[in-house]
Order: sequence, then C-alpha cells, then structure tokens
Amino acid sequence: MAVPVLLAPGGSLEAVRAALGAGADAVYVGLEGWSRGGARRELGWDELVAAQREVASSGRSLRVALNTIPRPEERARLFERVPALLDLGIRDVIVNDVGILAALRQRFERLRLTASIGCGAQTVADVAFFRDLGAYAVVLPGTVSPAEMREIRTVRGISVEIMVHMVEEFVLLGKCWMPSYVHLKESPMRQNGSVKRGGVGACFRICQQPWELFAAGRRVDTRLFPSRQISRIADVGAYADAGVDVLKLQGRSLPAGVLAPLVRRYRDAIDGRTIPDAFGPPPATLPAAWAVVGR
Amino acid sequence: MNGFELNTSIANLRDLRASNLTDYDAVYLGDIYCRIYESNFLEQLGDLREGLHILRDMGKKAYVATYAAPRNDFLPKVRKMLEASASAGAEAVEVHNLGILRIVHEEFPQLPVHVGGFANIYTAAGAEVLRGFGAVRFTPNYELSLDEINEITATSSAPLELLLHGKMPLGVSDYCFLLDYEEKWGVKCPDLCQKELFLKQGDWAMKTLGKGILSGKDVCMLEHLPRLLAEGHRHFRIEALSESPEYRREVAAVYRGALAKALAGEHDADEGSWETLRRHARIGLCNGFYFGRSGMDYQGLRPEALGSLPTISRAES
Repeated sequence: MAVPVLLAPGGSLEAVRAALGAGADAVYVGLEGWSRGGARRELGWDELVAAQREVASSGRSLRVALNTIPRPEERARLFERVPALLDLGIRDVIVNDVGILAALRQRFERLRLTASIGCGAQTVADVAFFRDLGAYAVVLPGTVSPAEMREIRTVRGISVEIMVHMVEEFVLLGKCWMPSYVHLKESPMRQNGSVKRGGVGACFRICQQPWELFAAGRRVDTRLFPSRQISRIADVGAYADAGVDVLKLQGRSLPAGVLAPLVRRYRDAIDGRTIPDAFGPPPATLPAAWAVVGR
Repeated sequence: MNGFELNTSIANLRDLRASNLTDYDAVYLGDIYCRIYESNFLEQLGDLREGLHILRDMGKKAYVATYAAPRNDFLPKVRKMLEASASAGAEAVEVHNLGILRIVHEEFPQLPVHVGGFANIYTAAGAEVLRGFGAVRFTPNYELSLDEINEITATSSAPLELLLHGKMPLGVSDYCFLLDYEEKWGVKCPDLCQKELFLKQGDWAMKTLGKGILSGKDVCMLEHLPRLLAEGHRHFRIEALSESPEYRREVAAVYRGALAKALAGEHDADEGSWETLRRHARIGLCNGFYFGRSGMDYQGLRPEALGSLPTISRAES
C-alpha cells in the first residue's frame, strides 16, 4: 500500500516555505489572475518562480491552480501561460471546468491535469467520468467517507485526492451562486460571478449571516445555514487503506504561522500510520485555530 | 412543436394529476434535490412509468430529471430509474451530474441527454465536451448573461434551453436543514418542504426546499421574448417544481400566448398577463443573470417589477 502524498496550500511564498518546512510532500498555489478565490491568495510570476525553485530543490512538487473559468477571449491568454509553466518544470495544473480541462489536455500533453474540488465529483461514476476525460487526478471533498472512497478507488487510471481539511458549507462547492444572486461584484480585471466561476467570484458568505426564516408569510426563526470545519485527521489511515493517493489541505488563506503546525500535524498522522510505533495513533481533533476561513 | 418548446418540471404523480398542462409541450418528471421528497418520481418507479404514460397520452414530450448531487449509494437506484425511463419511453433524461452523464452514455445510449443547469456549462468548450458523452441540449449555468450564452451558440450547434420564468436554482446541499424543525413544528419529513418557506435578509430573499435553494423572486423574461427568439432560442423552461398547479397553468398560458405573439412580431404583453405574473410572484420579479447584473435585479420597461412589489418583510414582518 502506497503512503498518500500530503498536499498543502501556499497562499504566499512564506506559506510555501512553511508548508515545506512542516513536511508537505507537495504544495499548491494560485497563479495571479487565474485562480479561484482572488488576488490575496495568489502568487505573482516572480513569486511562482521562486516557489518552484525552492520546492524542486527540496525534491518535492509544486502544483498550480488555474481554476477560473475564463471567457473565450481570455482563454488564449491562459493558454499562453502554460508553456512557461512547463519550462519551469511545473506539470501539475488544477482546473475547474470540463471545457478547459479538455482543451488543455489536447494542447499540452505533458500537463497533468487535476479536476478541482469545484468540479463537484463525489461518486465513483464522477471519478470515472474525469478519468475518461483525460484528467490525471480528481479532488473529492472530505465529506466522502473512507468506505465511499474504497468503492471510488475501484476506478483505475486516475489519481484520487481528498480534501481532508476543509470548511464544509451548506451548499456544495461548485453548486452555489447565492452570493452573485444577491450582489454581483463588478471588476474590469476578473470574472464576475460565483466562486465556482473564479476570479473576483466573490463569496461574501451570505450563508454565514443570519437569515430570517418565513413559513407561510410568518417569521418563524432566525438562523444560519449550517457549516462546519472538517478535519479528518483521525481517518488518515482509513483513507490510506482505501487507496487514496493524495491528502489535501484547504487553506490558501492561512498565514504561514498557522499553516505550519497544521501541516506538521497531518505529516505526523501520516507517518504515525506508516511507522505506528514511532508516533502512536493520530489525534482525533485539531485546535479550533486551524479552522479555514474561506478557501 | 409550434416553433418553440415550453416545458416545466413536476416532482410527483399527485402534482402531475393536479396540473393542467395544456400550454406545455414537455415535462421533466422528478425532484432533483432530494431522494425523500414526497413521492419523488425518481424513487417511485411505478409512479414514474405511469407519469410517462400520462404525458404520452396527453401528446406531451416526457422527460425525466436526475439528481443534482448524488452520492455512491444513489447510483443503483439511478440505474433502475434510467432503465424504467428507457423502457417506458422517456424521450430524454436531464442530467446535472457528470457521473450520471457517463452512466447514461455507457449504459443507456438510447436516452438522449439534456444537460441541466447544475452541470456547470459556462462555455462552448464545456458543451462540446459533453456532446461527446451524448448530450443533445444544454441549460447553461444560470450565472451566464445572454451575451455569454450567445458566445456558446455562436460556436456550438447544440440547442440551449433557457429558464424563462420561475424561481432560479441557486444551490444544492447534501443536507436538509428543515429537519431541524421536525420536532419544533410537529411536521415530519417529507411534509416539511411542502410548506412555503423563504429565507430573508432585509429585501434579499431566497426560497428553500430544504436541500435546494432557489431565488426568492421569480425570473421573468416576458418582455424580453423578442430578443430571445431573435437570438435563436426555442427551448424554454417555466420552473415550477415547487409551485402550485394554478401557478403552473396560469404562467404557462401567459407565456404560450406571448411567445406566439412575439413570433408573429407583436412585442407587447397585455396588462392581464402582467397581473397574472405579479399575483403568482410571492416576492417579486427579476431577470436572473441574463443582463450581466445581480440575479435579483430586474431590467426592462416594467419598473414595478424591480423591488417595488411588497416583499414579505415589508408586508408581513
């Protein structure tokens, strides 16, 4: 049984370094202008070059999120960035749209394309779909149990990642456009619309503000949409047994000082499973400070 | 089809029997959000077969919907439902989930696929990919403007289906938060989501079906029909899954008449039509994202549609 790769977020060059220092096997970053979640958590080109240099020199790998859904006229600009990524030695790219995935697959055979969590895969059939489409990997949410994952892993020919540390909001990732229904944020630089769409795709978390519930015209309650922090650190071994290839942590918004201990905790859990006598069983819970605010 | 297709959605046999479908050309059967929605066609396969026969006897096109966000344990039932649909003569299946798309393509190739709004078709490239999996019609993601939709039609020959009127889907969840209220209200599932439930923050409003979230306002494209037709669109949905049979019948009558007029070059809907739509819109009217603005905005010549209707908070809170 292979040991799963620990894939950590890097919302800044400092965070990339912290993740490496804490034992991540790989780090994912957003390329400025082309990743979901907005500019605050992206790396400019020079930062990306520096990150790749440091990651490669430590024998680990850097993955780049290009997970907006560009308009037709913007797609050519996105494709222009890819040869430079390949020249840097970056082959792993995360995308969020079946059209972009297929187009990149056709144009750049050397790329290893991951269907992001925003693609909404949750089932064995979804994973088979993305395999057929030519994806190298697909990301599933931490709501998918080890038992479900065991069935999913019957699909061969694709790497399966699970977001073991993430915020589960009430509405499924990639299936929510409540914020843009209420308010569409204009920007000349980036895509308007939901987080699924990317770019300015602003999630201003209307689901996490109090709503008044009316039944038959009468106010009956004030409430939030339920959401929760998922930290499946206690299930690391079960996911490994199920054949999961990559354990992914959400949180490009996390500062380096918060990210490092989080990564280290998962590193220890993974190594504790592979060398049980050295570390003992992994802890079941994580401190509240490691809750990811946003994505 | 009289130059266009007007369709709607119905969740169960009771609603199908109660609905006058004279002004519709086609119906999608089944609730896409929840397996335990009351007598959901997608779970009650005897009802589904009967529903398909009823529609065929009416001379309507009979389509079947599928779940928007399935898990592994849904799939055996989805396969049985697809088998029942194919054997009972369903003319197409609407797919929101890419895994189910693959299942239909591989195991039920006789069923034409209509791709639904939760499948996230944002571009012509995305549509072309799914055509390779047997898709023949697409509802683009609801977030797209008409200009963006036209970019798809410019490069893809597959017809698009557009939401013409009704509450626009805004999200789907794995969980039903209405279950929190079973004890408090003394109402059990599946009766909970039969109540008319809105979530409001000031003038913002959304309708909740438990697992599904819809716009509070009704998307209304009545005064924009000439543009839709001029841009080549011919497949239109009145989203009425959670509405009454009266809503389903009266709104369809308005749009069938207006579409016929628009095709004949007449552009103005009569005041009676507006009165009907206003009466059925619980919160108000909007244009969704069709004009590149926030989904709850209204653009057009009918200023009373833009936030001037009494909302629940103003009228009742």
